[in-house]
Amino acid sequence: MVPLPNKTADAEISPSLEDYIETIYLLVQEQGFARVKDVAKARAVKAASVSIALRRLAEMDLVRYERREYIALTPAGEKAGRRVFSRHRLLTRLFVEVLRMPREAAGEQACAMEHSLSDEAMDRLARFFEFLDSCPSVVESFHRCSLAHDHGGVSGHVPGWCAICARKQTRASVSLADVKPGERAVVTKVGGAGALRQRLLDMGVLPNTVIDVERVGLGGDPFWVRCQGARLALRRSEANSIMVRPAERDSRKQ
Amino acid sequence: MFDPAAPAASALPARELRVVLAGNPNSGKTSLFNALTGARQRVANYAGVTVERRLGHCDIDEHPVSVVDLPGTYSLSSYSPEERVAQEELTAAPDVAVVVVDSMQLERHLVLLAQVMQSGMRPVLCLNMADEARDAGQKLDLALMEKLLGFPVVETVAHRAQGIADLKRAIARAASTPVAHSRLVLGEEMDRALAALRPLLPTQAEKIYASDWMATRLLAGDREYGERLATMPGGKAVLAEARRQRERIEARTGLDISVFVTGCYFGFVDGLVREVRTQPSRPDARLLTDRIDALLVHRWLGLPIFALVMYVIFWLTFKVGEAPMGWIGTGVHLAAAHVAGLWPAGSDSLLRSLIVDGIIGGVGGVVVFLPNIVLLFLGLAFLEDTGYMARAAFLTDRLMHRFGLHGKSFIPLLTGFGCSIPGIMATRTLENHRDRIITMLILPLMSCGARLTIWMLLIPAFFPPAWRAPVLWSIYAVGIGLALVLALVLRKTLMRGDDAPFVMELPPYRLPTLRSVPIKMAERAGLYLRKAGTTILALSILLWAAAAFPKPSHYRVDAQIAAGEIVVANLNEGRHPRHLTQDEVLDRRAAENLEYSIAGRVGYALEPVFRPLGFDWKIVTAMLGAFAAKEIFVAQLGIVYSLGDAEKRTEDLRAVLARDYGVLVGVSMMLFLLIATPCMATLAVTRRESGKWSYALLQFGGLTGIAYLLSLLVYQAGRLLG
Repeated sequence: MVPLPNKTADAEISPSLEDYIETIYLLVQEQGFARVKDVAKARAVKAASVSIALRRLAEMDLVRYERREYIALTPAGEKAGRRVFSRHRLLTRLFVEVLRMPREAAGEQACAMEHSLSDEAMDRLARFFEFLDSCPSVVESFHRCSLAHDHGGVSGHVPGWCAICARKQTRASVSLADVKPGERAVVTKVGGAGALRQRLLDMGVLPNTVIDVERVGLGGDPFWVRCQGARLALRRSEANSIMVRPAERDSRKQ
Repeated sequence: MFDPAAPAASALPARELRVVLAGNPNSGKTSLFNALTGARQRVANYAGVTVERRLGHCDIDEHPVSVVDLPGTYSLSSYSPEERVAQEELTAAPDVAVVVVDSMQLERHLVLLAQVMQSGMRPVLCLNMADEARDAGQKLDLALMEKLLGFPVVETVAHRAQGIADLKRAIARAASTPVAHSRLVLGEEMDRALAALRPLLPTQAEKIYASDWMATRLLAGDREYGERLATMPGGKAVLAEARRQRERIEARTGLDISVFVTGCYFGFVDGLVREVRTQPSRPDARLLTDRIDALLVHRWLGLPIFALVMYVIFWLTFKVGEAPMGWIGTGVHLAAAHVAGLWPAGSDSLLRSLIVDGIIGGVGGVVVFLPNIVLLFLGLAFLEDTGYMARAAFLTDRLMHRFGLHGKSFIPLLTGFGCSIPGIMATRTLENHRDRIITMLILPLMSCGARLTIWMLLIPAFFPPAWRAPVLWSIYAVGIGLALVLALVLRKTLMRGDDAPFVMELPPYRLPTLRSVPIKMAERAGLYLRKAGTTILALSILLWAAAAFPKPSHYRVDAQIAAGEIVVANLNEGRHPRHLTQDEVLDRRAAENLEYSIAGRVGYALEPVFRPLGFDWKIVTAMLGAFAAKEIFVAQLGIVYSLGDAEKRTEDLRAVLARDYGVLVGVSMMLFLLIATPCMATLAVTRRESGKWSYALLQFGGLTGIAYLLSLLVYQAGRLLG
């Protein structure tokens, strides 16, 4: 796991100690108190391990604990517990509501990640969800779109954009004929009459493929492009029916 | 690799095994075909389309196998004639379909394999150019590939004939297994659509196409399949369901159905390649091609280099061709003299005339160009096989496109300056039917080598030396200009329609092999000779007969000699009185004979028609000869003017022409000869290459009509202006 960057002052607590704090915090929230055996049960560990952890937490002045008594969180402890838990909640929401993962898997992921989330990241995530609450259509359109992506092809190959994206892309994108020699673009839409479109598609000019304009003939026609490893020549009129969005030349694989 | 489990030939069907080769253009399919069948192949055209059908034969363990080389296609959709032909051949249920792919272009080339798999064949996958892929560091798990696909996969290097034995074994192995109905995994949406369509397909249709292929085509809205299905019982219901599924998918994915379906195939291929490719090729592979291209299609240097390349090819064609042309010419003369020698001197035997003038003269005149044609095609085959031809099309497309032509029209048109026949044959590189027909139709306007002999006669006859070069230049310019204008007009009228998409693949440069170039050359030379042996022979005899029959029962010149009129005539004109020599008598008889013959009579009959152009019957008769072959015009004119062998007496002929006709008639004549009536060999080749007589007739009628109008205009305007 990546070492934690951006630590706050009281954050030298190890992930496992954070888990304890979180558990105690939750138990107190739910049943009003927390006992060693409750904590041991919730974390599925031996009572002895809990005692060791409690001693260390007490040393850090996060809990107050005497033998055979309820465990109480200090104000600092309560704050730490709340922080860990809200990270957990945010992450779970992200995985379940936005990314549509099954709840259990999402919970596991959240547990694994909550410790490494910096305060700043958490802050941003919180703001993101505030935005989503006020504007749920964004995530809805994402879902409809990603559904299209899921079913569009096999093994992650994406043959195109969903209708929503396509509309946006078309507005934002330019035609291949506007791309200068030496520039790179990503195909967003293949238009044109039946025969032309099919020919382009068959040659591998599909939505989401990278296309490099390598040279243009004298007088600006025809275009010489490279797509999926093949060199193709096409006229300006044909290039006009291919919509693209500009891309960085050295970005990623071709 | 040898598979001991491979069945012996006895497991194969008792009849001849039928194998088709399918593959993308530039996959090396034709090299593979050549390596498989060697010289045992022949080329014909598919009925009604300008697509070549190559059929060859070979043996696998002494079992006879026929191999059809399908036209190169990117997919099996039915937009282009090539794709339709490929589909037809596949639906004729060949025993094995060998899919040839470029190992370096698996992501694109395997799409065709996916479609072949769907259409219920016994495929064999042939990973061609395996050496290039190996050199580039690509590694494939062939065993895994065979396991995943369920049919044999072999590696070959076709142009070096490597892996052919493996391929043959694989074909035998595939042929002796039952047809596997592999169901491609094309994604959830696609599977749902296919599952909905499958049970609805009429059994009648399934006999022709595998159900998944059929269902996919219907889903994609393929009109051809739709029409065929509509006539079958239950077809309408399937079409309705296909439309429903199509709409569902388009609504769900927001993709056009053809984009979606093609995307599914690419997705399948992508998944397959990911599994079997254990090591991708280095990113710098095939860099050499890019380096060469940096020079050869350089923004400024590209065109000059192309001009130089073409110049070298033409120079070689005519320079190297000169000697063998001379030999053939001498051979034809010797043969004619030898055959003529079988009859007593001065004999006017019909048979002798038929053989010497009709057959040897007519066919010989065409065969003489064989060295040129062979050499020219050697050059063109070299350009094609290296991959430079596509670059040439790239370089010239802008210019050609302005006139409604295609970049690939350029080289055939250029070839037309040598001879129209190889030019028309070279239009085969044009994929689009319309582009090809237009190029063919206007090609005779490129003033060919044979017409040069006419210009050499006429220009000095009518123009002073200072004018001669510009006039010759103008003739070529008028031809080119008119050709381009005609191309535009044809595009706007008879050959209307959208431009064929100019989407052309530029293959990597490859060294042509000693195998492929001669085969290609021999094929074209063979076509040319066959043409000379059949159509041209028949037309030669016909034209000979027209010029030879009927014979006058007596000659005026004989009567004049008997009456002493010639001597008197010479006296009257103040010349020295003398008798005609024996040769002069023969020449005058020949002239009278021609005048009396059908050709002469046609010339006479047509004189009123051509009078407005300034032509008399003599010119018209000579032009009939030009139809046999352009250079015959000169010979025929010589006969009409009783000058005997015109080639030896050009000066006399020029003098006579200058005496009888003015410059204006000369110009009108040259215009007409440049534009009108391509020679019969050209017409025959146009008919053959276009597949239709109507195009040949259009070429004949159209060009002659234009020639008539233009000559008329020039002659009459010239007369008005004085």
